[in-house]
Amino acid sequence: MAVITLSGIGKVYRTKEIETTALENVNIEVERGEFVSIMGPSGCGKSTLLNVIGLLDRPTSGTVSLLGERFDNYSDASLSHFRNKNLGFVFQSFHLIPSLDVAANVELPLLYRSGMNSAMRRRRVTEVLDRLEMTHRMKHMPSQLSGGQCQRVAIARAIVGTPSIILADEPTGNLDSKMGAEVMSLLHNLNQEDGTTIMMVTHNESQAMETDRIIRFFDGRIIS
Amino acid sequence: MKTKLLQIYYDMRHQPVIAWVSFIATALSVFLIMVVVMMQQVKVIPFAPESCRAHLLVGAFLHTESTDNSNNNSSSGMSYYVAEKLYSGLDGVEHTSYFSLSAEPSDVKSGQNEAFSAKSRKADAEFFRIFDHTLVEGRYYTKEEADAMMPVAVVSESTAGKAFGGRPWTGRQILVDQKPYTVIGVVRDNSSLATTACGDVFLPTGPDDKSGQWNDYMGNIAVALLVGDGVDFGSVREQVKGRYAMFDTELAQHNLRTVYHESPFDRETVAGGLIGSNVTPDPSAERRMRLAVYAILLIVPAINLSSMLHSRMRRRISEIGVRRAFGCTRRRIIVDIVAENFIVTLAGGLVGVIAGVIFAATYSGLYENMENFGSGDTPAVSALLSWTTVLIALGVCFVLNIFSASVPAWQASRLNPVNAINCK
Repeated sequence: MAVITLSGIGKVYRTKEIETTALENVNIEVERGEFVSIMGPSGCGKSTLLNVIGLLDRPTSGTVSLLGERFDNYSDASLSHFRNKNLGFVFQSFHLIPSLDVAANVELPLLYRSGMNSAMRRRRVTEVLDRLEMTHRMKHMPSQLSGGQCQRVAIARAIVGTPSIILADEPTGNLDSKMGAEVMSLLHNLNQEDGTTIMMVTHNESQAMETDRIIRFFDGRIIS
Repeated sequence: MKTKLLQIYYDMRHQPVIAWVSFIATALSVFLIMVVVMMQQVKVIPFAPESCRAHLLVGAFLHTESTDNSNNNSSSGMSYYVAEKLYSGLDGVEHTSYFSLSAEPSDVKSGQNEAFSAKSRKADAEFFRIFDHTLVEGRYYTKEEADAMMPVAVVSESTAGKAFGGRPWTGRQILVDQKPYTVIGVVRDNSSLATTACGDVFLPTGPDDKSGQWNDYMGNIAVALLVGDGVDFGSVREQVKGRYAMFDTELAQHNLRTVYHESPFDRETVAGGLIGSNVTPDPSAERRMRLAVYAILLIVPAINLSSMLHSRMRRRISEIGVRRAFGCTRRRIIVDIVAENFIVTLAGGLVGVIAGVIFAATYSGLYENMENFGSGDTPAVSALLSWTTVLIALGVCFVLNIFSASVPAWQASRLNPVNAINCK
């Protein structure tokens, strides 16, 4: 069953002077549990595609369907609730909140979920950090962590709410090769053990080759 | 809550100037508003010798105009005769006192001592039944002594001390504006903020006292009315209005009639200032002016705080994008920012309240100096710092927060998550 279905997706950015086509007639289907890489040169629309799939940006044309739901008439609040329940994000620059310690950063998605009290949240955060071997850093601030550790925390944050889909935008882009390999190994574990569907933007050919499928982009279009 | 406190702590450490300036500005504005509120409070809250303020009406002034074309208009205080005619024996009034509206500077001298200036007030015996001066020695003069204008005086402690030195003070002679009086009572020093009842020297006055009378109708007499529990001030005014109408029949023979200016006045009206004997006081105008001052005291810091919050938010744009990505709704963004700001505002406000309390307790002369009044005891801090004052301070924190945080919070909530995440 396809958990991600994109039909005829187009995205055009318009300013007074210029019109830029970021995505043009993109059609993709991703099955549950698939690990898909998106590759292409800089500026070809990979991240835009991820933002559209992540419901952070609305397409100019076409329809997005995630887990069988379409979002044409969703309000901003409904989109937020859907993201909170079903999507996890991993960013190239980690984007941890500098004012919060590791535990509070990981807890973030659970704060926006109803029906979880603080004890439940704390239990879940400990569980996830334990899985990612970061429990000993729980009270550390992001500024006290290495890049690899930051990305581990970011992954913990992405999976703490048990989302069905993880969208990772160049998750190893800011890491050295050893750290990058560790992060990739983590993502593969999540994919295999939890059956989480992962869509990852990457420039790293060898990392992409380890995934189930590679979608190649050029000038906003899928070329293979 | 923990997240919000962590954020505040982080801001304090990483943007110390902006964070501390916001905090101090809040504290300062709440402090200023508290001082202004307390300055207003002292004008209306009951405190000795005006503990009766809630039940007190003051009748003052007479304004007459000609009924022919002679343009014979006059306005001033009342003569004793007019005051009695308009205000004596009103239903619902427990005590009626006739006294001079203002305490005038007089020369006081005793024996060989140097003369000094003190504020003297003419008052009948009922005056001491309405106003709760504290007798520290001797007694007040009786109605008979007052009516007969016996040469006796009640003076304040400091006046007695200045005139005679040590005790006993009663039974001794003083000269007030070169007239001899025997001191029969000494009262505790009183605050000149008690504008109706204050004074250093109280001298008897009665119906036959012509000293403060300009003509048959005009003089310097005012009336204090102690209204009974549950009696509507309006009903007393209605009676007085009727008396004015009756008095007009007497004035008609002189081709005159009265102009009624809503006398007798309640404390709020008196506190607002009786600006003229021929003008109807407008307490609502005074209230509007006061509200305008409060608004300025609120809006100016609110704008500053808002712009500071704006610059704090600029550093958190990426964070807002991340929060939105993980499911935070726009509404929640607004609520979180307003709540964070409220914690800072409340903390600053509490510091402002504490500063206000310390200021009120340690510098009691503030209210008098600001009003350019003389020396004397001010009301107790406990009277000034009522729950109302604290609630007003907290209300100010709330309004300040809403004013300063709502625009930046709303703008933050409208950020496009993608642009916000990518913002450095």
